[in-house]
Amino acid sequence: MSLRDHIGDYRPAPEEARGIDREKAVVLAMFLVPGLTLFAIFSVGPIAYSAVGSVFSWEGFTIGQFTGLDNWIRTFRDPLFINWTNITEMQFPMGALAQNLLWVVIHVPVSTLLGLGLALLFADLTGRRILRSMVFLGFTVPTIVIGLVLLFVYDPQAGVFNAVLRAVGAEGLVRNWTQAPQLAIFALIAGGIWVQTGFSMLLYSSALSAIDPSLIESAKVDGAGPYRRFRDIIWPLVRPVTAVVVIMGIIWVMRVFDIVYAAGGSAGGPGHVYSVLGIEVYRAAFEAPIDYGKAMVVALVQLLIVAPLALYIARMN
Amino acid sequence: MTRDTRTSTETAPEQRTDAGRYLPADAIPETAPSRETEWRTRLTEAVPTLPRLLKYVLAIGVALLWIVPFLGLFMASVRPLSEILQGWWNVERMTFTLENYRQAWSYSTAPMGRALLNTFVVTVPSVLVVLLLGAMAAYPFARFEFPLKTALFFLILLVMAAPPELVAMGNYNTLRNIGLFDSYMGLVLVHVGWGLGWVVLFLRNYLLGIPEELEEAARIDGASRYQIFRTIILPLSAPALVSVAVIQFTWVWNAFFFPLVFMRSPDLYLAPQVLPLMRGRLQVQWGLVAAGSVMTLAVPVILFMLLERYYKRGMVAAVTD
Repeated sequence: MSLRDHIGDYRPAPEEARGIDREKAVVLAMFLVPGLTLFAIFSVGPIAYSAVGSVFSWEGFTIGQFTGLDNWIRTFRDPLFINWTNITEMQFPMGALAQNLLWVVIHVPVSTLLGLGLALLFADLTGRRILRSMVFLGFTVPTIVIGLVLLFVYDPQAGVFNAVLRAVGAEGLVRNWTQAPQLAIFALIAGGIWVQTGFSMLLYSSALSAIDPSLIESAKVDGAGPYRRFRDIIWPLVRPVTAVVVIMGIIWVMRVFDIVYAAGGSAGGPGHVYSVLGIEVYRAAFEAPIDYGKAMVVALVQLLIVAPLALYIARMN
Repeated sequence: MTRDTRTSTETAPEQRTDAGRYLPADAIPETAPSRETEWRTRLTEAVPTLPRLLKYVLAIGVALLWIVPFLGLFMASVRPLSEILQGWWNVERMTFTLENYRQAWSYSTAPMGRALLNTFVVTVPSVLVVLLLGAMAAYPFARFEFPLKTALFFLILLVMAAPPELVAMGNYNTLRNIGLFDSYMGLVLVHVGWGLGWVVLFLRNYLLGIPEELEEAARIDGASRYQIFRTIILPLSAPALVSVAVIQFTWVWNAFFFPLVFMRSPDLYLAPQVLPLMRGRLQVQWGLVAAGSVMTLAVPVILFMLLERYYKRGMVAAVTD
């Protein structure tokens, strides 16, 4: 439906239509150019810059010679990026890529299922809005605060988590969870799940509230138990949302930065045991020794992992 | 998909959920039915059955569990360090103090008062500019065909999926070259450029749901495209604009990575940036960290509570399209 289709009805003269075309072009430019200029300079430009820069050598912040895949090969051989020896021995640090993917593998399914569970639990209760808001609250709080709260919760002395362990008689498990090399990453992932469950619950809740209640009523009348009702009515209707929840979860986790930075600084924990890709980019790009080539490669890897998923969402519509 | 959700939530109630359960208008009796049940039966009906009661207990328990860490944060912010180390949940002999807030407000490295002001100075223009430019760009996207439209779409999606780390290197060099590094203006520009993608896509989806006939009528009456935009499009998209404003405000306010990279002078630090510095060296200054955190998170949380409807609806619409 172009503009001309509408105008054609009452102004059919071709020479006038051309004039209107010019007017349309001016209007288009006026509306589009300011926004798109900023978008091009500060979003698209830098991405292209990183893509090009990843195949050049870097002298500090200055671009040097074309070096082909040098940066890429160097990065993939870097134990900070992926540490094959430690992966086979199931020992942290496994490298930022492996740790980030481990985060995806645990965080995304758990937060999705928990979100669905809570959405179903709250669906028909009085006061559900308050209950939902309580669970969702964490998602509106700055993620750096979330990281600091985790530090506080897992603190050996002042932390409530260790106090619970003491209370149930598991004294032996009491420790500084965010600094324990082999366990810290799981403690942080639990924190990520804590935050993101609210988000997936919100999406599932809105999908559930769109379900016609009479459908469920009639299933009840027909004698379908809770499990049958879920499997045959609710699940088919909320399944499309699941794709969105899972993909948004992966995107969220692949750019997780603040929580890890708050808990372990720019090193990503003692001996980089829970470093993630974002942390590696930050350290390579903005802390001495500066390695722009590596930073760009790692950031591009982050994008390459999530880009197909975003396109999948786009194609769904 | 946005349009689908909107139609199903807004028009469906009259069409479907009724399902013929209501009486037609002429069959409604003149008087309201009298209460046939005694108060005793009514009371038993109002009390939930046991499984339902258990469900309530579980639901409230889970919701409380979810906010325990924030409760701890708040308690730590109003108690002295010695009591925090004994456990914030020990409430006997509790001393209430605002000392932590006072210290955080005038924290020596970067006073929280100043940091909060900086955060406002960056956030407000970032939101307003994104709203204006985003709405302007979304309009042609929703109504006109123009060359490269599909390519632009593709780019917007790509940027929405990209991690902020990916644009940091390029923007760092750009801001250095144009002399805006370590300044409010520079950070605002980065936030605007970064936010425009999703805002354009979000508003475009909303505009697609506004019938075009209104604009055609105005067009026949001789209104210019600019007038149509200002007098028809902007007022009609007010709910979507509020959603965008709330979400963008929260994201810019909460942003940690961009300030960390682009703000280097302590007197320009933003509030989220100051918080990790408050940890101190040997013993973590929990009271200070907690007070600073509470001050920082208060703004987005209050905003969320005030405009919850817009926030949630916007969030759902933003990601399900």
